[in-house]
Amino acid sequence: MTDHLLLQVVFLPAAVALGIFLLGPRSGKAAGWASALVLAYTTGLLALAGKALLGGDPPLRETYFVLSPHIRLAFLADGLSLPVAFIANVLCLVLSLFSLRYVTYRIEAIYEGLPPEGRRKYYPRFYALFLLFPVGFTGVALATNLIVMYFFLELLTLTLYFLMAYFGYIRRVRIAMMCLLWGIFSAVFFLAGSLIVYTHHGDFEIARMGAIAGTPLAFWVIAVFLVGLFAKLAVFPFHVWMPWVHAEHPTCIAGLLAVYANIAAYIIVRALVLPLYADFQPFGAPILVLALVTMVYGSLLTLAQTDIKRIAACSTISQIAYSLLGIGALTAVSLEGGMFFFLSHIMGKTVFFSTAGIVVYVTHVRDVRGLGGLAARMPLTALLFLSGAMMLSGFPPFSSFAAEWILFTGIFERAAGDDLALTVGVIGVAAILLTVAYTFQAARRVFYGPPAPGLPGEAIQDPPLSMSLPLFCLVGLSIALGIYPEVVMDLLRPVISGGLPALR
Amino acid sequence: MEMVSAWLSWILPLVGAAATPLFAKLGRRVMGFAAVAFAGGAAVCAARLLPLLAEPGRLPIVSAVPWLTTPIQVNFGVLLDPLSVVVANVVAGISFFILIYCLGYMRDDPEVARFWTLMNLFIGSMLLLVLASNLLFTFVGWKLVGLCSYGLIGYYYRDEKKYWIGGPAPFSFISPSACGLKALLVTGAGDMLMLGGVLILYRYAGTLDLLQLYLTAPDWIARMAAAPGMIGLVSVLLLAGPVGKSAQFPLHEWLPEAMAGPGPVSALIHAATMVKSGVFLVARIVPMFALALWMVEIREAQLFFTLTAWVGAVTAFLAASQGLVALELKKALAYSTVSQIGYMMLALGLSGFSPEMLAAGYTAGVFHLITHAFFKACLFLCAGTVIHAVHSIYLHEMGGLRRSLPYTWAFMAMGGLSLMGVPPFPGFWSKDAVLKVCLESGQYALFAIAAAAAVFTAFYTMRMLGLVFHGAPAEGSPGGSVHAAEGRPSQTLACAVLAFGILALGVLGPRLEHGLTALFSSQLPVLPRPLFAEDPLPSFSPLLVPALAVACLLIGAVPAWLFYVQRSWKPEAILSRSNTLKLIHIFLWERWYIDRFYGWFFVGGIRALASWIAGRFETALDDAAHRRLPDLVGRGARRLIERMRSDALDLTDNLAYVLAATIVFLAAMLWWTR
Repeated sequence: MTDHLLLQVVFLPAAVALGIFLLGPRSGKAAGWASALVLAYTTGLLALAGKALLGGDPPLRETYFVLSPHIRLAFLADGLSLPVAFIANVLCLVLSLFSLRYVTYRIEAIYEGLPPEGRRKYYPRFYALFLLFPVGFTGVALATNLIVMYFFLELLTLTLYFLMAYFGYIRRVRIAMMCLLWGIFSAVFFLAGSLIVYTHHGDFEIARMGAIAGTPLAFWVIAVFLVGLFAKLAVFPFHVWMPWVHAEHPTCIAGLLAVYANIAAYIIVRALVLPLYADFQPFGAPILVLALVTMVYGSLLTLAQTDIKRIAACSTISQIAYSLLGIGALTAVSLEGGMFFFLSHIMGKTVFFSTAGIVVYVTHVRDVRGLGGLAARMPLTALLFLSGAMMLSGFPPFSSFAAEWILFTGIFERAAGDDLALTVGVIGVAAILLTVAYTFQAARRVFYGPPAPGLPGEAIQDPPLSMSLPLFCLVGLSIALGIYPEVVMDLLRPVISGGLPALR
Repeated sequence: MEMVSAWLSWILPLVGAAATPLFAKLGRRVMGFAAVAFAGGAAVCAARLLPLLAEPGRLPIVSAVPWLTTPIQVNFGVLLDPLSVVVANVVAGISFFILIYCLGYMRDDPEVARFWTLMNLFIGSMLLLVLASNLLFTFVGWKLVGLCSYGLIGYYYRDEKKYWIGGPAPFSFISPSACGLKALLVTGAGDMLMLGGVLILYRYAGTLDLLQLYLTAPDWIARMAAAPGMIGLVSVLLLAGPVGKSAQFPLHEWLPEAMAGPGPVSALIHAATMVKSGVFLVARIVPMFALALWMVEIREAQLFFTLTAWVGAVTAFLAASQGLVALELKKALAYSTVSQIGYMMLALGLSGFSPEMLAAGYTAGVFHLITHAFFKACLFLCAGTVIHAVHSIYLHEMGGLRRSLPYTWAFMAMGGLSLMGVPPFPGFWSKDAVLKVCLESGQYALFAIAAAAAVFTAFYTMRMLGLVFHGAPAEGSPGGSVHAAEGRPSQTLACAVLAFGILALGVLGPRLEHGLTALFSSQLPVLPRPLFAEDPLPSFSPLLVPALAVACLLIGAVPAWLFYVQRSWKPEAILSRSNTLKLIHIFLWERWYIDRFYGWFFVGGIRALASWIAGRFETALDDAAHRRLPDLVGRGARRLIERMRSDALDLTDNLAYVLAATIVFLAAMLWWTR
């Protein structure tokens, strides 16, 4: 079972997706369960790999396909890539279960004019596309090669494009196009950076990028990569696509959109900071400032939103910047904290956003001014929403508390003798209050107070357990990692601190 | 054995909180008794720590396990020292009796499972905060306490009109859910700043283990002092947390609205948990800054004590003045809490004004925390019974309840007399200790402010007792004061036990103060008097402070007696004759306009900024990125695009020019970096 473990993790979902695609409407509802099953299996595989790594085994490396000496399909599951791949896969599993009901509702809403047989094809189509997300995420996380990473990044962009165009909200085609263009913008810079490295160094392997370290070229390579990755991360002022995209896509993939954007933080650490640490130093201070601006800007933007989907969208802009803050501080602790925060954030965002999806699913209302008093009739949903709010706001015992703590410890480590880092650190910590404000304000508007007039009283109730139970499991995972963060930190430590002689 | 009790005392309530939904399956009564049993278990475990206080030589004791070893070393454990043992007992004991009261008070509530869960979570979190051996886990307890208060203040989340507070019409009301959110955000502001302070502390100390922090304080504070302004910054940041949690100026505005929850919740917040956490934390930090100031002679550390003392004094005065005109029973008590916590902060702040005052100031602050916990819990529980009986929150809709609520009257009078500082009630002894520290440290301005606050306290407490229990029953009272009845037996029992505690503390007051002084002196650092210290401290007759305290009491209480108990003076008549008094009344009723200013500046300002960003700035940015820029590119490349584009579906229309642009861009990049 564990032979070719990483290959199975990356490509089994793709194989199932192909099967679903070929079977078409004949696969019916089984498509959803098949997706969940394959993702449960690959999650189990990643858990096994994690256990072995924690047990002292060396990082798992698999090489399959060598196109040229410099382009090879190889996967590496070390302490940095494995947690990213695992959590992303868990989220895909959770959301595949969540989507079982949600997609039916979405298809009925979008294609209500079609006859039932005409609609039937969309359900398997959703899952055929959906399964390309875990392929892309695990591919990006486990790739050892810039070109392979680029391939999986592009796969994610295309998947998002089609999913949104088929299953999004009112302006879905237009926004899908916008998202695609931004994805291409980002990818072009990524590709440009990769090609520059290749033309001067003759290799795409990330592990060997250190060969350009210390040369003037390294500065420009980092700069080119960063432009592309900032666009993906929705860093101010490249964030303009995020509110649109989040607002129009189907809510059942919202958590994955947060991963789609935030995974760029992983790429920065993996492909830029680790091999080119010394050359990355000049970028530290600007990144700190940019991250702080994005945090505050995103939070203020969120506070002004009244569309429940846009609230989550704009909050993503703000939340992603925390990981970037950790990167900007460039200490081992801040980098590890930043990566841990990335994982915590995507779990929190999945819960928060999917619960917002449940609210829309049940009430068919997106404007929070038209909502209210739902807690009385949807207590479990209210509990989930508040859990999401707490996960985003960094309340204990959720993992985001431990992550924020470690992240800011690292930032303040840099702050000794660095007034900028000190200022950014203090304002950054204080800015967490804005997260508390917009998440709990949204909870109050949607769930507290008297029932909003116009809502169908009888129809308002908690959704089926198939939607809420996976999210509760995710809440449980976040609590477990919050109580025992050592498991993540033990994985990250050898790669980040151990991988940087300067930080040892 | 003690360590097992220490661990269990905070774990048991948390287990109780988690188990409440299970007990709910067995019935409401079982659930209630189970919840109380878990809190009772915590109280018993805390009580088992008390013998340690008789053997201070054995303290401090730590029991810890590693929580995180990489990238930073953090241990999770409990610390038993005089402060934690004393405060844990106050918290666990008072909370237990509050929960007994709840058995009766909440019996008819349809969603009581949520109530018991949150109450036990609240108690467990507070005990974690108090007993934690590491500042990080103190902060964990701190955050959880804030979260529980949010849930309990906004307990009546449906915001039915009967649970609104504020008013009466035409004045504005506020709903419970808004009150909960306000508490969360205002205290959260302090929390986040404090987190910044703790992180800087960690940066210099390399540990958050409390004992390590004390032991190595001279070293890390010296390192911190090397960075100009750092100690000042850390002082402000660290103090912000307690200022928020303990509702001190300028973050005090949440507490008057925190009584939107059920009555016993207010008792828990005001007496045993939330607001005491700030005082506790300041007491935790005081020895570090005292060492810095007097041992390492870092003058900058004085800022911490000066700030604490002045924040406390100003708050004591400000809140007491607002209490003079409060019309809601629980709001009057809330102002009194803010004010009394101010006294505690004042005493703790003064403990750093000279090496000799360390033990006295420290003891006075903690002593007042203990006495206040008893009389405030009693007052709030009695207030809950009164409000329940008359179905009104307003003092002017009460009156004459002495006959229909005789027990409540007796218990509330005991609490009230203690709050006023009537000898020999415990409030007299502890307030006397605070005033004595003010005078003996030579801080006459602070003494004057504290004395003025004592005058106000006597006035508003007598006013409150008079309006509730004396005079004729108010006409048009919703529940009818005449037919009001005592609460259920568990309610009366809990109040009776607390009232007995007040009496006992009153009798034992001086001995307790002496004992605490000896206890804390044995643990606090022995500080030399450095060269920069000013003249020796003044000395006064031992009778001076008690005499002044009684004078303050009489100045405040006698007019209030004539106005509201005997009712021979008419407050309305006096008010109508003086425009100055009217203006002062409005100023106090409007809470010095501070809340209004915060609403306008912070809430309105942030909303306006957010609205401008979302409405104007973001729109302009979006327009530039998604319309103007593509237009610009598009105009130049239109001919090319028209040649290259296929007339396929709109999804793929513009892909060709994207492809072309990509190729050009890549070629340019590669050429440029060749």
